Amino acid sequence: MDWKLAAGLGVLLILPFFVTDSYTRHLFILAFVYAILASNWDLSLGYAGLFNFGHIAFFATGVYTAAIAAKTLGVSPMLTIPLGGATAALTALIVAAPVARLKGIYVVLVTFAFSQVLLQLILSQSHITGGAEGMVRIPALQIGDYKFIRDFKFGYYYVALGLLVLSTFYLLWLTRSPFGKSLLALRDNEEYAGARGISIMRARVLALVASAIFPGMAGSFFAIYLRVASPEVLGFGTLSLVLSMVLIGGIATITGPIFAAFAIFFATETLAGTRGMEEFRFIIVAVAMILVLRFAPGGLARILQVFQFKKNRVL
Amino acid sequence: MSILRIEGIGGGYGSVTVLRDITLTLETGENLGLFGPNGHGKTTLLRMTSGLMRPSSGTIQFDGRDITGASPSKIVTSGLVHTQQGNTLFGDMGVAETLEMAAFTKRARAGATARLEKVYALFPRLAERRKQKTRTLSGGERQMLSIGSALMCAPRLLVLDEPTLGLSPRLKEELTEALIEISNSVPLMVVEQDVELLLAVTDRQVLVEHGEIVREITATNTPDHAEIVAMYFGAQA
Amino acid sequence: METLLATFVSGLVLAALYALMASGLSLIWTTIGVFNFAHGALMMVGAFVAWTVSEVGGFGLWPGLIAGVATTTVLGVIIEYLLIRPFYGQRNMVLITVMTTLAAMIILEKSAQIIWGARLKQLPRMIEGDISISGAVISAHEALIVVLAPLILIALWQFTNRTPVGRSLRAVGQNQEAAALLGINVPLTFALAFGLGAALAGLTGVLLGGIRFITPSLGSEPLIKAMIVVIFGGLGSLGATVGAALVIGMAEAFLVLTLGLYWTPFAIFLGLIAVLVLRPNGLFGRS
Repeated sequence: MDWKLAAGLGVLLILPFFVTDSYTRHLFILAFVYAILASNWDLSLGYAGLFNFGHIAFFATGVYTAAIAAKTLGVSPMLTIPLGGATAALTALIVAAPVARLKGIYVVLVTFAFSQVLLQLILSQSHITGGAEGMVRIPALQIGDYKFIRDFKFGYYYVALGLLVLSTFYLLWLTRSPFGKSLLALRDNEEYAGARGISIMRARVLALVASAIFPGMAGSFFAIYLRVASPEVLGFGTLSLVLSMVLIGGIATITGPIFAAFAIFFATETLAGTRGMEEFRFIIVAVAMILVLRFAPGGLARILQVFQFKKNRVL
Repeated sequence: MSILRIEGIGGGYGSVTVLRDITLTLETGENLGLFGPNGHGKTTLLRMTSGLMRPSSGTIQFDGRDITGASPSKIVTSGLVHTQQGNTLFGDMGVAETLEMAAFTKRARAGATARLEKVYALFPRLAERRKQKTRTLSGGERQMLSIGSALMCAPRLLVLDEPTLGLSPRLKEELTEALIEISNSVPLMVVEQDVELLLAVTDRQVLVEHGEIVREITATNTPDHAEIVAMYFGAQA
Repeated sequence: METLLATFVSGLVLAALYALMASGLSLIWTTIGVFNFAHGALMMVGAFVAWTVSEVGGFGLWPGLIAGVATTTVLGVIIEYLLIRPFYGQRNMVLITVMTTLAAMIILEKSAQIIWGARLKQLPRMIEGDISISGAVISAHEALIVVLAPLILIALWQFTNRTPVGRSLRAVGQNQEAAALLGINVPLTFALAFGLGAALAGLTGVLLGGIRFITPSLGSEPLIKAMIVVIFGGLGSLGATVGAALVIGMAEAFLVLTLGLYWTPFAIFLGLIAVLVLRPNGLFGRS
């Protein structure tokens, strides 16, 4: 599997030299952001078995951290990216406090309510956040004299790709570490894992915080890149789109949601250009999500694994 | 004519086989008892009979009609009523409400009022607690409510799973008397660890072990009773 | 004094609306154990269908109301059959159905967008005019909701507590196996509960269509309000839901008066999280 990742990375690394139009590069940049969101969600949803419906709140925290820091406080846009990771981790710590003790549907409800609290906070503090209209004209990225805004998104492409690569290495390392294994043990048998001395609360808090860092950074990047921050990111639309990427890609695989993020994002963007498909594409994604839950609960990654397995047996 | 005919029933949970090839017949007018060690398939047999589980092989006929694999509600409608072991029933419902609701099928609804009176006569404790919520009842009262609800279904065969489990000796005695009275009008099939009760209430007993019927005791081979009792209930009996 | 009375009246209107929004969600949760994220979208569909029949078709408001409720009822049964039933008995059923009903919400909202477009629509009011209660002015339509809500809820209570079919809904919610062994058809009861919950959503949507603009996202805010009410009341009985609707409606009206329009939702959500953490079974729930 690792050679495939390497090959994919190789292609993505040289792609901007061949694809010069800024619109295609723009699509890739957004796909990278979605891939970060989906694969990090997989850490809490797939590995820790935590039904965190506030994952988008971490992203939104990053978005507004960058917007406020760069525009209002005059922080260098580049610095807002790690800053967004830090504030998102802090946000996760706050959510984790109540969530660590709860089970099942209550986790869904509290995390969802939390993202709504954040939304209401953003709407109510319009003198800081711009309220429902959001914030515009956020300072663009600039390193030394190099202005990212003038290079047809060449630089942004590599920043986004760099974030995705870092995030993926981080996730693969984390999920293969003893911590990742203890998360799986906990998910599959809470009592047994508890008896083996794994602290449920500690693991859940850590998993949530760990899953928030890169979405926060991606959020900051997103705000700096698009130069806007809008409360829309906290809506049902983003939530269900990213959820479909995790589920269709295959939970607890990390790479599955990344591939699914690419596939779904490009599929929906292509359909967006087709007349009559602007709304219909979301229906297709929702139906695909249901079909996967019904017929392939492991997601497409599992189906591919089974396929490979069969192939090997014939040989 | 036989009221219940179980032929070659087998099956279990997933890949775990609990029952292998059980054949049993219950003739009209007789009461049957099942006993044997725990975890050897008695409850599974009852669950298959009442449609809560689907057997992987064999057939079940009730009153001459094939009910293998039918839904529990269909089976209850045809008159075979099963009360589960340690049934907690409906915690937030009152005693009277539960009994009234229990006459749910069309057949049960006819004559429900008269049957309710009979249940209250049989279990005066329930009559005293008409308004009480089920969750506040004692284990024995809950067991009475469970049997009372089954009677409200207008059973033509009543299947009971360990009706006296965890009850005090005094309550056991009360319940045994009630069961004897019920058996005068409704045939019974009872799973029970308390052999005294089984001997008092049923006419014929079978021993279920490792998912099979290994022994049958009838009135003609009574001498075996003590032996069997010693074998399986030594401490209790 | 007059502000207090006006606030009380607007609290009452909110409470009535919230109780209606939450009743269907609560019914489905207590019977099937499914948290229906498509509940708000069903309200929206009810409003749109009613608008189409009464305004476009010109058949008037009452046929519109009936068509709206009938459509959502059928949709509810379809959702149960396609998106809930295949997952019964699975270990993670509650969480899987959260996702499938979320998908249903997206499908309904986007379909509405395709069918009806984004242009704002509104249903005529059931009763025209305003009503003044010693200084506090509300529309007659809102007054009707305040009167209608308790009637609908009482009817629902009578149904679930006094009729055999209604009681069977509660029985299935409390103990599925025991209910099946009394001859209750459990799958049919699930479909019935979902249909009834969806019908209540449709009815609420039609009533909302007279006081709010009908858009594909009409149901988003009511869904969240219904969630808050059901959680506050504890994921339990209808009575607790109605009590919670009263508490939240009144709290909201008085918070708007004291904290202002912007801080109120924030305060309510914080209160909600506090309730969930300190009393996971709700204010009126039993552990």
